Amino acid sequence: MAGHCGARAMAARLGPRAAGSARGVCSAAARRPWRLFGAMCLLRLPRITQPLEKEEEEMVALMEQIELEKSCYSDHEIRKLEEEEQLKRKKESLYDEDEARGKTVIMAQDLEEKWEQKFLQFKAAPRVTDADKSNDRKSLNRKLDSNLMLLVKQKIGNQELWLLPQVEWQPGETLRSTAERAMATFLGDHIQAKVLGNAPFGIYKYKFPRAIRTENNMGAKVFFFKAFLQSRDLSQAELKADYLWVTKKELGEYLKTEYLKKVNRFLLDL
Amino acid sequence: DALLACHRFYRSRPTHGIGKFKYLLPKEVPKKKKEKVQMKEIDAGTEYQYGDVNIQMTSYDLCLVEHFAQYVHRLCNRLSIRVNESYAMPTKTNEVLFMEERGSKMQLDAVLTTHQRVVQIRGLSSTFAPILLEIIQSNQPEGVHLLMKQHTEADFKSRLKSRPELEELLAEMS
Repeated sequence: MAGHCGARAMAARLGPRAAGSARGVCSAAARRPWRLFGAMCLLRLPRITQPLEKEEEEMVALMEQIELEKSCYSDHEIRKLEEEEQLKRKKESLYDEDEARGKTVIMAQDLEEKWEQKFLQFKAAPRVTDADKSNDRKSLNRKLDSNLMLLVKQKIGNQELWLLPQVEWQPGETLRSTAERAMATFLGDHIQAKVLGNAPFGIYKYKFPRAIRTENNMGAKVFFFKAFLQSRDLSQAELKADYLWVTKKELGEYLKTEYLKKVNRFLLDL
Repeated sequence: DALLACHRFYRSRPTHGIGKFKYLLPKEVPKKKKEKVQMKEIDAGTEYQYGDVNIQMTSYDLCLVEHFAQYVHRLCNRLSIRVNESYAMPTKTNEVLFMEERGSKMQLDAVLTTHQRVVQIRGLSSTFAPILLEIIQSNQPEGVHLLMKQHTEADFKSRLKSRPELEELLAEMS
């Protein structure tokens, strides 16, 4: 839904959406006094589920109980029950027929105990990694249960700002390739990232201060695209050293308010 | 009063079932349609629209997969995306054998069942598709594999069982 809102904001200026937007911009670039940028919002997907809240945990327990009561016995459980009955019968009266019938070498109970021992031996990886403890914002291992976004320090005009990596659009290429180029310039080529669709997710437009404003350069429009990072480790081919991986909540510390407002519109925080 | 009162002919009255006529009509046998026509929509155009898209969810845990499939179905209903079908693929059982070769050779068996649920969607616009994908991805439970792909004939045929005797007879005939 955020994508629709963002696109509607610019629908007044540009024509139809999706690939049509790129074509519309191409033809009208000569007349428009806006400079166009394509920015890439690179997301690292969460690797662990978030901890459940109280209601969610109660719900999970309830659902498990319901499923348990509704379900039928599995093979293993039937076998277990039969063997328990056999044991009972042996204790009450000595039946040699049961022993004559193919007696199972391994009882179901023994199997269960073996499995439980194995399970206890298994150790899961820690949820809070080292990077979390040291609050090292440059590593990807930080918050494993939320989305991490790439922020880069860029020079715009005469200010150095923290932004999502962006690069100016050149006539003749689609906005999506602009965004991919932005990603490539900051992270090096062959980044395994999957760009989500051809339509931009959001737009931020701003006017230049009057000193720089000319007839042709009224301001700039930044189109945001989203991509998912596929590879685990980034080969450190960084051109600019100032980069950060931040969660949505920490964005407020780095971005400007107007920029932040528009960016927040298309970020899913789950 | 007599006009206003409700005179529905109750079962004990002799006039019960006075207006029925369907039992008089000749009985129609419902037609059996075995081969269902696959319809595909246009993919290209000014307004991008995907044709039939399959969202396949596989997991070892049955309850989890079913609940997730239900969630996806309801989500599409709420977002007014048309859901063609929501079906389940047959479960696959895998037997895992452990061969411990230290000392005595033991074979521990584990039986794993893989369940798959498919939700088929139509009329997904390309501006909305990545948003939907992101929502589903971020709500994925642990242990569930998600796969979104376009519906092909191969997918349709994988649901049907092949009849070897029929094929043999057909081969003999032709």
